[in-house]
Amino acid sequence: MFFKLILRNSKRSRKENGLFFSSLLVAVMAFYVILSLPRQDVMVFLSQMESDAVEKLLTLIPAFYGMTLFLLFFLIYYASRFQLERRRHEFGVYLMLGMRRSRLFVLLLAEDFGSSILSLALGLPFAVLLSELISLITARLVGIGIIEHQFSFSFRAMLWTAAGFFLVKCTASLLLSGNISRQEIGSLLTEIPEGAKRQMPSCVYVVSLLAGMLCLTAAYAMAIHGESWTHIRFMGLTVVLGLLGTFFVFWGLRLLMGFFIRKGNHDRRLHTFDFRQIQETLIRRFGTLALCSLLILAALCCFGAGTAVFRYYENAASHVLDYTFTDTNASDVRRTLAAYRLDTMFQDLFEMKTGRVRTTEDTEHAFDTEPLLAALRSMDSSRDRDVLLNNLSYASSPYLIPLSCYNRLLAAAGQSELVLHPGEAAVYMNQEDTAQGRVQLLNRILETEPLTSLDGDALRLTGKVQGADLVTDRSITLSFALILPDEDFVYYTQGEYDIFVNGILNNHTTKHTSLLSAISEINEKLDETGLSYESYLQNMGRQLFFQTASSYLTIYLAVIFLIIANTVIGVQFLMSQQKTLRRYRTLVRIGAEYEVLCKSARRQIHWYFGIPTVFAVFGSLFGVRALFTGILTSAARSHLSEMMIVSAAMISALCMVEYLYITAVKRSSDRCLLGLMIPKREE
Amino acid sequence: MEPILKIESLKKYYGKTKGRTKALNGITFQVMPGEFLGIMGSSGSGKSTLLNCIAAVIRPDSGSILIKGKSLSSLKGAALSDYRGKEIGYLFQNFELLDNLTGLENILLPMSLHKIPEKEGKKRLNQLASYLEIQEVLHKFPAQMSGGQRQRVAAARALILHPGIILADEPTGALDSKNAKALMEKLLGLNQEEHAAVLMVTHDSNAASYCKRILFIQDGVIFHELRRNIPEESRQDFYERILKVMAQLGGGSANVL
Repeated sequence: MFFKLILRNSKRSRKENGLFFSSLLVAVMAFYVILSLPRQDVMVFLSQMESDAVEKLLTLIPAFYGMTLFLLFFLIYYASRFQLERRRHEFGVYLMLGMRRSRLFVLLLAEDFGSSILSLALGLPFAVLLSELISLITARLVGIGIIEHQFSFSFRAMLWTAAGFFLVKCTASLLLSGNISRQEIGSLLTEIPEGAKRQMPSCVYVVSLLAGMLCLTAAYAMAIHGESWTHIRFMGLTVVLGLLGTFFVFWGLRLLMGFFIRKGNHDRRLHTFDFRQIQETLIRRFGTLALCSLLILAALCCFGAGTAVFRYYENAASHVLDYTFTDTNASDVRRTLAAYRLDTMFQDLFEMKTGRVRTTEDTEHAFDTEPLLAALRSMDSSRDRDVLLNNLSYASSPYLIPLSCYNRLLAAAGQSELVLHPGEAAVYMNQEDTAQGRVQLLNRILETEPLTSLDGDALRLTGKVQGADLVTDRSITLSFALILPDEDFVYYTQGEYDIFVNGILNNHTTKHTSLLSAISEINEKLDETGLSYESYLQNMGRQLFFQTASSYLTIYLAVIFLIIANTVIGVQFLMSQQKTLRRYRTLVRIGAEYEVLCKSARRQIHWYFGIPTVFAVFGSLFGVRALFTGILTSAARSHLSEMMIVSAAMISALCMVEYLYITAVKRSSDRCLLGLMIPKREE
Repeated sequence: MEPILKIESLKKYYGKTKGRTKALNGITFQVMPGEFLGIMGSSGSGKSTLLNCIAAVIRPDSGSILIKGKSLSSLKGAALSDYRGKEIGYLFQNFELLDNLTGLENILLPMSLHKIPEKEGKKRLNQLASYLEIQEVLHKFPAQMSGGQRQRVAAARALILHPGIILADEPTGALDSKNAKALMEKLLGLNQEEHAAVLMVTHDSNAASYCKRILFIQDGVIFHELRRNIPEESRQDFYERILKVMAQLGGGSANVL
């Protein structure tokens, strides 16, 4: 009989509370998806090239798993609490009938065990499917051939998912069931309204609102301006200020609701009732709402910043060179390639030379930077100017690049060639390390064609600042160099220079297959030739790793945060509606129609979700901007406005998800209210 | 004079054909404008079902309810909730004030529900508040009021829209004798001054003694009726007559009169 009761109750719970059951499914999927990350195609592919970075990321997985465990505990705790609150009366009846408390405790645990097993049985296949899908989509996005797709099912991940899920579920159940089975029968049988909370004078709430706003402004200002990122102590201070600010604002919000109650449109149906309900929630649950708002904020920031960074790297990944051969010259490379029948694979092979000034002993001061520094000093003071002043003061011993080599590079990239006369030079700066603002400053100086000197000879600087990648390897960059006409280059370097041979693959080589697989194949063949080379793949791998890791983890976190926040808000609303059903029943008795009640509840849901969401959306705009300050390189930071637009678009997309969630809660509330329209006999 | 409420052969059965409960088994009576009518009966006799049928909260299986000559079954949707809010005022045993609204907000709730501008109700509100002596609790929450104050606030809420008939379901059930007496006197006063008919279901013989007429219900049918002879019969005498019937009620219909 006891067993039958457990089975029946467990089944009824699943039917009645879809929200609870779906949150269990989400938990299972979240665990599995993070744990199966090492088996994802992209990660397997990357670990062949960037094994160090991938290793580092993979060591982070237990930490992410732990964090997921911690966060999902709250989700399950809230969902289960709602589930049990609904059944208080039933538990009271069991105890009245003489069920022992320990037995009630076992009953609750056993019921829970039933739903847990079912969630795992249903959730795991879904999770495997989802993880497969993510693996395929990311592989396709980054251009790895799908043919190499490996089924990413991991038994280990499955075991850990089950273990984590049961751990979280058992902890939540033990806490909640223990709490229910300890309560007095009387308090279980009758609905006891929560006592009214003591209210302070209005001025206290005004102060709280103002203090909250002040804290938030300070926190965002510190993070956007960059102070927070300089020291862990400042970061700590920013976080504390942000948290305090949010809680203060939410604590003070009741005052605004009071204002709406007094000043709003009283002729609208149930205006006062709606706002009193919202105010009551704000008074009782300000902490939970503030926490949910912070979670949504975190989700929006992760998602907004993550996708913007991903898009930036994706766009920045445009490249010209596929290969660079070192320790050799072009004719040797051609010969070797022809011997191995690889020459047809390449569309172009050309040399890139770099060298130093060798005509003087004093190479450290070969280049006179003073005219440039003087021109800079005469400009308006700015952060960019100061950084440039500092950087250029170290540029007195520049690298030299011959014009012909550089022009070949420009031609390959489809750009117009550079023209230099004898005694003229163009400035080369690696643009990935240099912010756009600084390049513009220098361009303004170069417009005046300043006269300077190289080893005592007059040198006119002309043209714009150049920045095309000289070789494939992006870790080899020149922070400052001069492009000289070929004769000048040979003279100043005295024929001592390094040669790199750059190669560009044929179009038809890459046409039928993705670039990544083409390079992978050619690399295998090149390894046999004994040439030392660097391919775009290695760089791509690094890029890809950052792209995948940052987007995967941020989007994963964003989804988890969003699901938790929404479930908690939704459950809180339905729970408070459940507790205040008597009020709705009274409204029915004094003439409220079903539609009027639904409208009123929907308005409350809008506010209930709206307050934390609007607050989070507003905050996320600053939050994303602060993250950009903290995590972007200075070059990437020059594209801030574009990235902010991408983030804003992503945040709006998430708001749509939020809207869908609100619609689901509204439906649930409508259903609950429909049940009230049939009178219940109360003695 | 036309009756304000006319009930004819009202039937309401609960459950399936086999073993069903006949909550109302063909009840017929009328309420005249300004009448103070009591309905008494033991638990399960059908009192609450009757009140719920009149309040249009549940639908009877057969028979008709006519309010001011209009059949309740012909009302649908908005007209029905208008009826519930404007034609009748409902007074509950447990007051049913919304605990998160102040007294004033509770009283104005029916106006808000039926989209009547608050300004229109100001005068009525002041008049009711001073008659029911609740001015000082208007801005308090129910938790800060005494039981008597709560029921008087509930009475103001039931009366704010000038209903033609007030349905009171054990209005003194949750009050002590002093507060019960005060409430009944106020109700009687309102009944006489405003000519609002009162239909009160009660167990309390003392409260019932304020009525002009009392219907006794048992097993879903009216089995006895008492009328107070006004002005000859004092409330005390009427009370004693009620007690007598109540005593017989306990013994079952075989012993009645």
